[in-house]
Amino acid sequence: MLKQSKSVNTANGRKLTFKPFKKPVKGLPDGFEEATWAKLQAAVRAVHNKEPVSTSLEELYKAVEDMCHHKMAESLYARLQKECDAHIASQIQRLASSSTADPVLFLDQVGAVWDDMCRQMLTIRQVFTFLDRSFVVAAPGVRSLFDMGLQQFRTHLEARPQVGEKLQRGLLQQIQTERRGDAINRQLLTNLLRMLSSLGIYSTAFEAPFLEETTQFFQEEGRRLMEELDPAGYLLHCERRLREELMRRRECLAEGTEPPLQEAVEAQLVAAHLAALLDRGFPTLVAARRLDDLARLYNLADRVDMLDPVRFAFRDHIKATGTALVMDKDKDGEMVQGLLDMKAAMDAVLQQSFEGDPDFGNTLKEAFEAFINQRQNKPAELIAKFIDAELKSGKKGQTEDQLEATLDRVLILFRYISGKDVFEAFYKKDLAKRLLLGRSASTDAEKGMIAKLKAQCGAQFTSKLEGMFKDVDLSRDIVSSFRSSTAAQARIPQGVDMNINIMTAGYWPTYPVVDAKLPAELNEYQQVFKDFYLDKHQGRRLVWHNSLGTCLLKAHFQKGPKELSVSLFQTVVLSLFNDADRLGFTDIAAATGIEDRELRRTLQSLACGKWRVLTKEPKGRDVNDGDTFVFNAGFSAQLYRIKINSIQMRETVEENTKTNEQVVQDRQHQIDAAIVRIMKTRKTLSHALLVSELLVQLKFPIRTQDMKKRIESLIDREFLARDSANSNVYQYLA
Amino acid sequence: MMKRAKKAMGGAANRAAGGSSALFEQYCDPATDEIGPEGVERFCSDINTDPSDRKVLLLAWKMRAKRMGFFSREEFQSGLTALKATTTAQIQRALPGLEEQVECNPDSFRDFCTFAFKYCLTEPSQKLIDIDTAVTMLAIVMPREPLMPRFCDFLKEQTEYKVINFDQWTSFLRFAQEVKPDLSNYRDEDAWPILLDNFVEWGRRNADRPIDFT
Repeated sequence: MLKQSKSVNTANGRKLTFKPFKKPVKGLPDGFEEATWAKLQAAVRAVHNKEPVSTSLEELYKAVEDMCHHKMAESLYARLQKECDAHIASQIQRLASSSTADPVLFLDQVGAVWDDMCRQMLTIRQVFTFLDRSFVVAAPGVRSLFDMGLQQFRTHLEARPQVGEKLQRGLLQQIQTERRGDAINRQLLTNLLRMLSSLGIYSTAFEAPFLEETTQFFQEEGRRLMEELDPAGYLLHCERRLREELMRRRECLAEGTEPPLQEAVEAQLVAAHLAALLDRGFPTLVAARRLDDLARLYNLADRVDMLDPVRFAFRDHIKATGTALVMDKDKDGEMVQGLLDMKAAMDAVLQQSFEGDPDFGNTLKEAFEAFINQRQNKPAELIAKFIDAELKSGKKGQTEDQLEATLDRVLILFRYISGKDVFEAFYKKDLAKRLLLGRSASTDAEKGMIAKLKAQCGAQFTSKLEGMFKDVDLSRDIVSSFRSSTAAQARIPQGVDMNINIMTAGYWPTYPVVDAKLPAELNEYQQVFKDFYLDKHQGRRLVWHNSLGTCLLKAHFQKGPKELSVSLFQTVVLSLFNDADRLGFTDIAAATGIEDRELRRTLQSLACGKWRVLTKEPKGRDVNDGDTFVFNAGFSAQLYRIKINSIQMRETVEENTKTNEQVVQDRQHQIDAAIVRIMKTRKTLSHALLVSELLVQLKFPIRTQDMKKRIESLIDREFLARDSANSNVYQYLA
Repeated sequence: MMKRAKKAMGGAANRAAGGSSALFEQYCDPATDEIGPEGVERFCSDINTDPSDRKVLLLAWKMRAKRMGFFSREEFQSGLTALKATTTAQIQRALPGLEEQVECNPDSFRDFCTFAFKYCLTEPSQKLIDIDTAVTMLAIVMPREPLMPRFCDFLKEQTEYKVINFDQWTSFLRFAQEVKPDLSNYRDEDAWPILLDNFVEWGRRNADRPIDFT
């Protein structure tokens, strides 16, 4: 034997020697293969029988190695294969002939067989490592030893379908058992499912039937629980079930099962019943502010891609509740507060339950816009009145910030209204009263409100309102310079002082001019002022509005003097009593020249109300022509200053109707103007196009019938004519 | 051809003028030089026609009479010229032809209806006729229109309009021509006056009611 060795010097000086591979020994002893195999076979059988192996591991390794070296690897593999095959076959056969009826016990048995198989195969593989790493690796199409075992297991399993069936039934039953609330051996379940995965039969042997059973189970459960539980309870149950299923999946089932499993549960429990849930439960949940339940609903609906039905339910609920609020004529006084509360509640639902979802936000807005405009004019009027109340003095208990917050919230409601001109009319009327009678709580709050309106509706909307403020400021300046003008001051009568507001007619609401014969001093004062003013502003015309005047009178009664805060008309009447103690109605009428109804109202307020500075003979609430009025010298009251002037502040029903009518009139004019404008440009236009053009141009809601009325009126007044050839076309008549 | 016809008409007119003038003077009131109500009554009797008959209105139309119950000299004469009649007998014979003309010629019918409305206006600046007059006039002007009786019922029953204006009158005429008696092809998004929108709504609601022909 030649020994050729190479020596290499290593770093530490030691010599490494490479020895060549041992050449195969010529001439093996007879029966080498059989003898060696016999040793190995015994070992394999011992492993399979769970008996101790007599031969040492090292000797077994060597045996394998030897056989491989002597080109016996292939036959060794074949022998081993046959050995394992037989064993696995018998194991499976034992399972097949198992008479165990109880699926749990059967699963145990299967589990045990599998555990054994795995363990034993690993041991055998360990012994035959050399074979595994040399022959198997080199030869194409030859499975590794462990895989070989798996393959054999699978083959025999498939040859005994009843085993597979029993196994499947057992596994599915376990899951159903756990679903029903009883405990199971999760470890076993996991093991067996991993076994199926390893064998490559997981989908067919387990997953497919599992998903089908899951679908059926939850289909039945869904139907049943929909009848038994209320919607909130049902949703809670869905959430719980989904959680349970996913947790079980994570622990026991393959990862790929999760999407179909989730889908099946969601479809059967949630999607199939969402419409009914919304129908039955949505309005109640919202009304009861069950934000958590609604959030759960939102999440579940999102998972099954059915947010739209939820959104529609939200919309319908808002519309229904809102319409009831707005249409109940008996509850007009509470409408605005009701709307504010409702908006706040819906916002809470939107933010906290629906995650501020922008689609839901839009739907909320559209729903509010839809119902608030169901009732024409009233909401706008009430909102204006609400703001008026907030801005008047005497609104205690609010900080500036709170007031601002309330106004902001009210303005959001205002934004939903389509007939904004109604609001403007009422707001203007109320603002005028506040400014002229000094009833604003804070000028800052007033100006802030205007700024907000301007931001919302544009400068044109608020230009007149701003004009009113300017007038008040200018008036203050003029009065101030009037008071400092010595010339003017020299001419005014003693004992009178006036504060004057000059209103530019276009900005302010229109007031009827009610004449009265004012006391001489007032007339004089007014004249001096008028001269002063017109001197500075030539070409202007001043018209005194008696109905808006208020006075502070010093009255001397027997029990002492009092200051009376009264209207100008009341002043005119009272000053008559400077020269007489008793006066008949007709005399008063003649002396004051006040219009009949207004005069009676005024006298009533002085003689029949809470503070009777005059007495009426005969007594009674109504003022009749034959009545006599007497100065009540014995008048007494606790306070020094007494307000008898409440009529002006209170809005009468007539005023209200008048304002509404004014809006209607203005709208008619605007429609007419728009029609003429359009027809003048187009010369000839079809009815349909005229209507659609009007809808674009007009800023308030309008019915086709209203448009037709104005068109007919314009035809009558010969601004337009119907085309002789085509009846649906109008011609402009120049 | 046209020129000759004109000439012939001119000649006939000259000859007829004498005849119609004489006829006119049989009925006119010498003080006013026009035929007044009394004369009209006699005239109608002579042509064997009731004064409230449609044919009389047709005559007035042909004459372009301005005032109801009166015919001026020019009106009377031009009317007779247009009819090519100078005697009451000739007038009487021409009447069926007049009826046929408005029956068969849509333009004439429209002209006749327009005339009928204006004929009812008695005051100088009047532009409206009251419901009763309108109803009476409609019955005379379009007696055979299937929609007319129902429209008249409606006019009498509704309270929104107390008077009819010219636009509404002519619109009804167009309505009668375009809309089916069962109102099925009516579209309210069209430019019909509101009066007619209301009529259709009323008509559909009262579809089963028997019509009042009184």
